[in-house]
Amino acid sequence: MKKVLTKEEVLHVADLARIEVSDSEVEKYQEELGKLLSDVEQINMVENYDDERLIAPWTEETKLREDSEGTMLNPKEVIENAPRRAGNYIAVPVVISENESEGA
Amino acid sequence: MNNNYIPTIGIEVHVELKTNTKIFSNSKNGYGQMANSLTNVVDLGYPGTLPTLNEKVIELAIKAATVLNCKIRRQMHFDRKNYFYPDNPKNYQITQAETPIGYDGYVEIDLDGEKKKIYIEEMHIEEDTCKSTHKSGKTYLDFNRAGVPLIEIVTKPCISSPLEAKLYLEKLKELLFYTDVSDCKMEEGSMRADANISLRKNESDPLGTKVEIKNIGSISNVKLSLEKEWERQTKMLDNNEYFKEQTRRFDDKKNDTVLMRVKETGNDYRYFPEPDIPFVYITDEMIENAKKKIPMLPDERKKVYIEKNIPEVNAKKLVEHRELSDFLNSLLDKNVDFVVACNLLLGDISAYLNKEEKKLSETTLTKEKFIELVNKVSSKEISSKNVKDILKDVLETELSIKEIISKSGIKNISDDETINKIIDKIIENNQESVKDYKDGKDRAIKYLMGQVMKETKGSVNPEKAMNLLKVKLQSI
Repeated sequence: MKKVLTKEEVLHVADLARIEVSDSEVEKYQEELGKLLSDVEQINMVENYDDERLIAPWTEETKLREDSEGTMLNPKEVIENAPRRAGNYIAVPVVISENESEGA
Repeated sequence: MNNNYIPTIGIEVHVELKTNTKIFSNSKNGYGQMANSLTNVVDLGYPGTLPTLNEKVIELAIKAATVLNCKIRRQMHFDRKNYFYPDNPKNYQITQAETPIGYDGYVEIDLDGEKKKIYIEEMHIEEDTCKSTHKSGKTYLDFNRAGVPLIEIVTKPCISSPLEAKLYLEKLKELLFYTDVSDCKMEEGSMRADANISLRKNESDPLGTKVEIKNIGSISNVKLSLEKEWERQTKMLDNNEYFKEQTRRFDDKKNDTVLMRVKETGNDYRYFPEPDIPFVYITDEMIENAKKKIPMLPDERKKVYIEKNIPEVNAKKLVEHRELSDFLNSLLDKNVDFVVACNLLLGDISAYLNKEEKKLSETTLTKEKFIELVNKVSSKEISSKNVKDILKDVLETELSIKEIISKSGIKNISDDETINKIIDKIIENNQESVKDYKDGKDRAIKYLMGQVMKETKGSVNPEKAMNLLKVKLQSI
C-alpha cells in the first residue's frame, strides 16, 4: 500500500536529523519517505522461525573479547581528519550554551 | 523546610567500570591523559568498524547486579539509541533499552536506625560518549571517554526525601567501590548522578510534574539541589503557577538549580536492537565466577569488627578506608588484639599515611610485622609513645620489629624491681613534691610520674609505673 507521510512527520524527522528542509523538499520527502517505509514494511511478510526473535541475520551468540589493550591511534592522526581543531581537540560549532553540558 | 507537599524522588546513576579497555574496542580505558590519545577507529565511529564486547564488562555488571540484589537477565542484547550530536559520531549510542542485565533489585539504607529498601528498577550496560567542553562559541571534543563502559542504575520513584537520596548514593558508592566495579570518583566523573523530583499534596494524588536535575557533582549537592528544588516547586504550586517537565542543573555558585531545557517529548531516540552484537547469554558459570570475586561487603565488615570489640565508630571509620579495612581483614583468622590493631591503623599509621600522602601498600609494613607490633603493644612491652618513635622505621625499613626496638634503644622496662629502683631515685631527688603530695596536692604525683618517664626516656610501662609510684608514696 502506498504511504504518504504528513508534513509534520517529515519536519519532525528533519528536526531529529538536524537538517533544514524547504517547503518543496517537504513535499518531495512526504512521498519518498513514504515509499521507503512501504518497502521496509515488506519485512513483516517474512515468517519467524520457532517464534524466536532475531536481532541479527544469524543466530550465533556474541563472542566476548578479552580485556587486554591493543594498538591505539596516534592523536595526530585522530585530529588530522577533522575540519577544525584546537590543540589535540576536535573543534565543532557550539551546540549548546556554555553553561550546559550533555551527558550519556 | 515546608511540609505542604510530599516529594517523590528517583535517581539515575552512571558509573564508569574499572576495566583495562573500552566496552566495544581494545583501546585503553583511562582518565586524565592527553586529549584524543586513547582511541581507535571503533571509538571514533569510523564506517565499517564493528563492536566487540569486553568480557570484563559483563563480569563487573554481574558483580554490581549481585550486590544491588538485582535479578540477572540470562539472554540479553544491546540497542541503538539514535540521536545527532557531536559527542557520538556513529549517531547512536549502544545501550540496553529492552533487556537490561539487572532488574528488580534494592539497596538497603539506614534511616535513623530503621532500615529502608530503595528499589532498583533496572541496571543496564552502555557506552560513554566523548567528552565535550563548550568554550568561547566552540565545542571541543575529546574521545578518550568515548566507549568507556558504563552501568546506569535507575531507582523506582520510591525515595521520599533529599536525605534518603543522599544515603542511597552513599550506600551505592560504598558497594560499587568495595566490589571493584568502579572507583566511583564523582569529581572525575566516574560516578554521575541525575535526580528527578515531583511534588504532590497527598500520597493518594497522582504524581506531580517531574523535574530532572542533571550532572550533579557531589553527593552532598544531590541532597542540596533536591532541597532547593522542593522549595522552588512549592512556591510555584502555592502561587498556582504552571510548569512543564524540564531539565535543570545545580549551580553551586548560585546554590540553586537553573533551567537547562524544557524536555523534548520521549520516543525520539528510535531505539532498535543493535544488529552488530548478537544475543549475549549469561551462564550459571559466569555468575558463579563473578560472585566469587565479591569481597566481604561493608555492612558485614562492620559487624565482624564490632564482634571483635572494636567500637562502632571505629568500625565505620575502618570501612571508609578500604585499604586499612582490607589489611585488617587479612588478620581475621589470627589471634591478635583487634582493638590495638584498629587503634594503630586508624591512629599513628593513618596519620603517617596522610602526612606522607602514601598508601599502606607503599610502605614496608607486612602482615607479619604488623602482628609483631600489635603483640608488643598489647602486651605493654612497648608504649604508645614508643610506637610513635619507631613508626618511621616500621613503615620505611625492612627491619623486623625486634630489630627496630633494639636499634632504637627502647628498654622495655616492665619488671617491678627495675621500676621500683627508678621510683626510689626519683623520690629521693624530689622530696618537696613528695611533701606536696602528702599535703593533698594531686598535681605533685603527675610531676613525679613525669620524672619517671623522663628518667626512662618513656620506655617504662606507664600504667604499671603509676601504680607502683602510688603504692610507694602511700608507704612513705
